Amino acid sequence: MIRTVAGLTALTFAALAVPPVTAADEETGFTPFTGYAAASEFSVVPRQGELVFFPCSQCHEFMEPDATIRELMSPHEVEFKHGQGRFWCYACHKLDNREQLVAVNGEPVSFDDSHLVCGGCHGLRHKDWAFGAHGKRQTSWTEDRVIYNCTHCHDAHDPVIKPREPMAGPGVRTGLERVAPERHEKPKVWQRRDSQEQKHEQ
Amino acid sequence: MSNDSQKAGDKFDQARRGFLEKLGKAAAGAGAASALPAPAWGGASFLEAFGDMFNKQYKKMTRKEIDAALSRIRRRALRQYGVEIDCDDTPPQENVVFGYAINISTCQGYRDCVHACVKENNLGRDSQVEYIRVLEMDQGTRNLEEADHYYDPDTVPVEGKYYLPVQCMQCDDPPCVKACPVEATWMEPDGIVVIDYDWCIGCRYCMAACPYWARHFNWSQPKLPPEEINTKTHYLGNRPRPRGVVEKCHFCIQRTREGGQPACMEACPTGARVFGNLLDPDSEIRYILENKTVFRLKEDLGTEPKLWYYTD
Repeated sequence: MIRTVAGLTALTFAALAVPPVTAADEETGFTPFTGYAAASEFSVVPRQGELVFFPCSQCHEFMEPDATIRELMSPHEVEFKHGQGRFWCYACHKLDNREQLVAVNGEPVSFDDSHLVCGGCHGLRHKDWAFGAHGKRQTSWTEDRVIYNCTHCHDAHDPVIKPREPMAGPGVRTGLERVAPERHEKPKVWQRRDSQEQKHEQ
Repeated sequence: MSNDSQKAGDKFDQARRGFLEKLGKAAAGAGAASALPAPAWGGASFLEAFGDMFNKQYKKMTRKEIDAALSRIRRRALRQYGVEIDCDDTPPQENVVFGYAINISTCQGYRDCVHACVKENNLGRDSQVEYIRVLEMDQGTRNLEEADHYYDPDTVPVEGKYYLPVQCMQCDDPPCVKACPVEATWMEPDGIVVIDYDWCIGCRYCMAACPYWARHFNWSQPKLPPEEINTKTHYLGNRPRPRGVVEKCHFCIQRTREGGQPACMEACPTGARVFGNLLDPDSEIRYILENKTVFRLKEDLGTEPKLWYYTD
């Protein structure tokens, strides 16, 4: 089962990669993702240094890798909203090396390149991000593009952005009163259609 | 203009300036004689205090006159707010026309951009002038008459609503420029529509001409807490403005001409704002214009806005 998934994603990655695909690494047998053909060059803000528990080997060096699905304990109490419970840790984290993530085709990925893991499923979004239609630039608008990683904004375990309190709205000019915008409540197209049909029946 | 009449004009200018300086010194002298601490206008000379009134239009000033005006602005800020500001007039970059794109699928209506803009551009804290208005509208509609920019729920985004930030569109065929009777506003080579605050007569014709409600009038001298003044200013941008002039978004000219991001883009936590060079085919904004679903506000008016909205 896992193999078919890996095979499929390897296909998608091959389709996305630059046409003269870089040769597969002899040791690992993985074809590295080298970016999109026409995307302007960019570098990604490193993420690894911002991780609280990094390096993970501090603890995990002394622990046996355990892939069984179990209740998570501190300090890794996470609720997997991402995928609505379909994933377990090792969909993204590498079982035998906790300092790395794992792409959907099994390729090991550094935390700094975590976008490759996200892009394995969210391909179109990843493409938009690489070309600049999604995501955020760090500084400047000029040629040197430094962009934030997916995980700078999205919590990988719960990626939906939470609603937040808005900043204060504009003040009302002295002497004026705030007027609620006029709402011309009209029936929607389908509601109008329904009432017309009723008329016909009558 | 022939060389002779140019010289004559210069001579007249010199004479006028000399006269004003003498007048100022005489007045200051009179002040000293009657043991007053400083002249009533607070300046060292008459020219110092009222020099801005005799400025030419920015485009017609010589380098020397611009430098004099800039240093006068600096001294005025020091007198008025006790803050040493840095005012320059960085010229536009070659082969650059600025464009802006806002992703309305991503915009959450936080209004972080609005407040970053107020701080960056030294907007009066009491005048309720804000360059950016974030409109809240029902999903599936784009009726600006039903849009609300005073929205104030506990959390945004509200279910069933979407948010559309509106600011100066930096039109390529700007109706405000056509409406100005004194040419106090014009489009720069990099596409930014700017205002010469010293040349503006405050008639507000441009405000009536603008279909986006993007221009704002200073009914009073903008009140700025000295500690909050942004000291990096530009002659055509965010320098402290006097009372009675029109102002508007200038794509943060003091930042973007030096390669920086506009303050609203920097402040946006969602990354919904994309700013860049429309002439660079590899730029992010060109990718968006060529590959995403984009629209412009009130495009049918033919003002050719350089601010696009796009959706995922």
